[in-house]
Amino acid sequence: MSDVDVDVAVSRSHRHTARWAAISLGVVLLLFIAVLATRKSAADKQAESPLLGKQAPSLTGTALDGSQVSLSSMHGKWVVVNFMASWCVPCQEEHPELVKFTQRHQGAGDAGVLGVIFDDTEPNVRHFFDREGGSWPVVSDPGGHTALDFGVRGPPESFLIDPNGFVVWKAIGQVNADGLEKLLSEGKARGG
Amino acid sequence: MKGRLPWLLMALVLAVALAIGAQGHSGPRTEAQRVKHIASEIRCPTCRNQSAAESDAAAAKAVRDEITRRVRAGESDGEIVAFMVSRYGSDILLKPEGSGVATLVWALPVVAVVVALAGLAVAFRRWRARPGVSVSDEDRALVERELESSR
Amino acid sequence: MSAALGTAGVWLGLLGAAIGVATLGLGLHRRDPKLLEAGRKYAWVIVAGAVLGVIAMESALLRHDFSLRYVAENGSRQTPLLFTITGMWSALEGSILLWALVLSGYLAVMVRHFRKRASDPLVGWATLTVFVVAGFFFALMAGPANPFRVIHGAIPTNGPGPNPLLQNHPLVAFHPPMLYLGYVGFTIPFAFAVAALVTGRLGEGWLVETRRWTLFAWGFLTIGIVLGAWWSYEVLGWGGYWAWDPVENASFIPWLVATAYLHSVMVQERRGMLRIWNLSLLLATFSLTILGTFLTRSGVLESVHSFTESPIGPWILTFFGLVVVTSVGLIAWRGDRLRSPGSIDSPVSREGAFLANNLLFAAFCFVVLLGTVFPLLAEALNGDRLSVGGPYFNRMTTPIVLALLFLMAVAPVLPWRKASEEVLRRRLFWPAAAATLVVVLCVATGLRGLAPLAVFWLGTFAAGSAVRQLALSARRQGWRGLVGRANGGMIVHIGVVIIAVAFAASHAYGHSREFRLSPGQSARLSGHTVTYLGSNTVKSSNKTSVEARVRVDGGKIYAPAVHQFPFATQAIGSPSVKSGLHDDVYLTLAAAPEQAGGSAVIGVIVQPLIMWLWIGGAVIALGTVLAAWPGRRRRPTAPVSAPVEVESTGPPPEPVGVIS
Repeated sequence: MSDVDVDVAVSRSHRHTARWAAISLGVVLLLFIAVLATRKSAADKQAESPLLGKQAPSLTGTALDGSQVSLSSMHGKWVVVNFMASWCVPCQEEHPELVKFTQRHQGAGDAGVLGVIFDDTEPNVRHFFDREGGSWPVVSDPGGHTALDFGVRGPPESFLIDPNGFVVWKAIGQVNADGLEKLLSEGKARGG
Repeated sequence: MKGRLPWLLMALVLAVALAIGAQGHSGPRTEAQRVKHIASEIRCPTCRNQSAAESDAAAAKAVRDEITRRVRAGESDGEIVAFMVSRYGSDILLKPEGSGVATLVWALPVVAVVVALAGLAVAFRRWRARPGVSVSDEDRALVERELESSR
Repeated sequence: MSAALGTAGVWLGLLGAAIGVATLGLGLHRRDPKLLEAGRKYAWVIVAGAVLGVIAMESALLRHDFSLRYVAENGSRQTPLLFTITGMWSALEGSILLWALVLSGYLAVMVRHFRKRASDPLVGWATLTVFVVAGFFFALMAGPANPFRVIHGAIPTNGPGPNPLLQNHPLVAFHPPMLYLGYVGFTIPFAFAVAALVTGRLGEGWLVETRRWTLFAWGFLTIGIVLGAWWSYEVLGWGGYWAWDPVENASFIPWLVATAYLHSVMVQERRGMLRIWNLSLLLATFSLTILGTFLTRSGVLESVHSFTESPIGPWILTFFGLVVVTSVGLIAWRGDRLRSPGSIDSPVSREGAFLANNLLFAAFCFVVLLGTVFPLLAEALNGDRLSVGGPYFNRMTTPIVLALLFLMAVAPVLPWRKASEEVLRRRLFWPAAAATLVVVLCVATGLRGLAPLAVFWLGTFAAGSAVRQLALSARRQGWRGLVGRANGGMIVHIGVVIIAVAFAASHAYGHSREFRLSPGQSARLSGHTVTYLGSNTVKSSNKTSVEARVRVDGGKIYAPAVHQFPFATQAIGSPSVKSGLHDDVYLTLAAAPEQAGGSAVIGVIVQPLIMWLWIGGAVIALGTVLAAWPGRRRRPTAPVSAPVEVESTGPPPEPVGVIS
């Protein structure tokens, strides 16, 4: 190296710009990696809903058998509002669980399920229920207004409503009977 | 000054054209335009990454219908958007709004650019301050040699 | 049988990489050229492993060997042949196999290209780095993302086939391979950047050697991104082609950094400056490809493209961490001692323009990256759930794009070192005049909107400047004036301008509406007439479709449809597009008729200049090929005035060509 380069190299080495820039960037990136490492997958996200703790939106409609059903008429019971479609695979998988749940509470009459059709036709859903069983009321939702009121992104989504009409829990994705039972007993213990 | 005159004329013509061109979006929007504008800021609930204005999904249609209903009822853009947030949560908006953390996503890039510009300014000043490397006779001879050998 | 063959291929690749790393590592440690020569041969073992794996997978797919879990989940007897073949990369594990294949291909080319310099430690370090990367991807296939897992228990007789969206269009055969040729191609320049930092040899034109690699990888990535946009437009049914979706962004961010590198390296060649910055750009490009892979395959972000989740996320994230630590560590260790002397005299100069270029692309990269990962960061900070979508990106990137268009116009006419105002005024007058004329015409014909008009002015300005450069160059050198880096680059700029103008026009002047039409009824939108003729149901080997017949502008009949695949959940809409040079008429079947002969809801979207997006992409590809054309050979000489040791590598340099 010639003299010029040595001079330049010496003066440069006092500043270490590259080193400091690299180290600060490295620290930021490692923090970033830590954040990424602790994220749950998007599909698992805990179902937060702005409706939690509030009165459930009003829900009225015509059930599959033609009768008028409303959520308010089910006051005094714990209600699982279940948005479903016959084409959705997790809905098909959770259906037997819902059947189990309704059968368990049929006698006591303290809890039930209210189904809402999400982006599906009545004949399809009727066919589905004929095949898979289940005797709870299922209302259609033409235009998707009920789904919008509840902030439903896609089936299956379920909301647990306490006997006073407050939304206490939301699930994105399929539910199972034991999980529902647990929530029910917790809610009752709290004095719901 | 003479060389600048054509440019000034051109700038004038351009300014007039752009002034005219920037018009046409003002004035009250039609109902359909308002609905489309609001829907384009709301995420289609079932889709992965489209706006409610773009998507054909049932949920998107429901959102558009609700927006239309509320626009007709005379609600403001802000009220309608607030309603959607009250049902779906704040992540239904395609643009982060509101306070706190959300403003970071708008502010950070601006801050980063400002910092980078400042860094460049400092670097330029440092470069200017350094006395120029003077050309020594040794260097001149080196250049001559190289030019000779490549001819 | 396929499982055994494929697994053997995977392990062959993994072992080849491991032994190669060991051999080269030892050879570098002991400075033993014989070990270095031997170590590079393991590249062929890796290639053999990858090829074996691909043959095994494709044969399993084609023979409908459902004993393989991947085939059972992604293959079907009803799927047409093309989509069975492309099924190899239609799901996660197979896409890793494709990555391994492309990487080993590049490795083979690299090893062969540098075979005469195999005993050079720099080549040794570079080869070792590529071995490590290849080893990682084979390890993924040996571990969490095993494409050759076997089904235990009953073997199904048929499968669901690939995702319906991946069976809709032949572009599925081109977009992923092109994308990977680009994405994966950046591994080689990264390896050389690492090698240069480790050996401390920056001044011998190594980065200039790898510039051509970077150019090719960049070219493929550009084509891959444009094909992805085209495919998205033709298949997804919303009439758009770019949604700032996390997966789209994951491929775009490395493209931005690579573009910055391709420009910034010119400053290094001319003035010997920005060496460490350019190395950092290469390190960053590769790191961003790994980050992008993590974001798209780990499931932390929702996306149209989401692969199904798998436990692959933590592995990729760990590898990303390793890459980051290596890159940052090397720069921190070596960076300051290897920085070049030299300064930039004036910001208004070609160097200044390239600095501004670096700044703008860095800002662009930061904005897109921040917007993509911000939902994760916000949630980590205080649990806020928010989305960052199209409106954010469009608003934040518009000023950057406008500034870049301006730079594209001005930089080619800026002299090195210092520019005088008079020179600029003289050279830029006609491009500016043309741009003003274009805007006046647009406004006169009724086009409105400040943003699109600004894009039109700046775009014409930039294109005019590029055309001027090409004209001068052609006048001076004939047809040779169109090849070589500077001229090819001007053609690429023209392609970019075309895309920018088409993007602005289609966003600003598009119209969409839905019409409920009975058979025989017509509707008009933006000067086009659509007539609904009726619908019918069509059954094919892998799907049942309801097709509408729509006559556009009294001419051809188009068939937007809704497809129902037997194993899929919802029906998939399939649009039909009448493309023209002036605009596109995009048709969707929003609602099929409820009874035969009933009315249907037809969605119509008319957007101008869509076809120019694809034409612009082709122009960029052409420009890239021309830019890579070997021009008059210039031996890259370190322009610093002190004598630097240079290995004698052949005949003396030819006279340097004149650069305007």
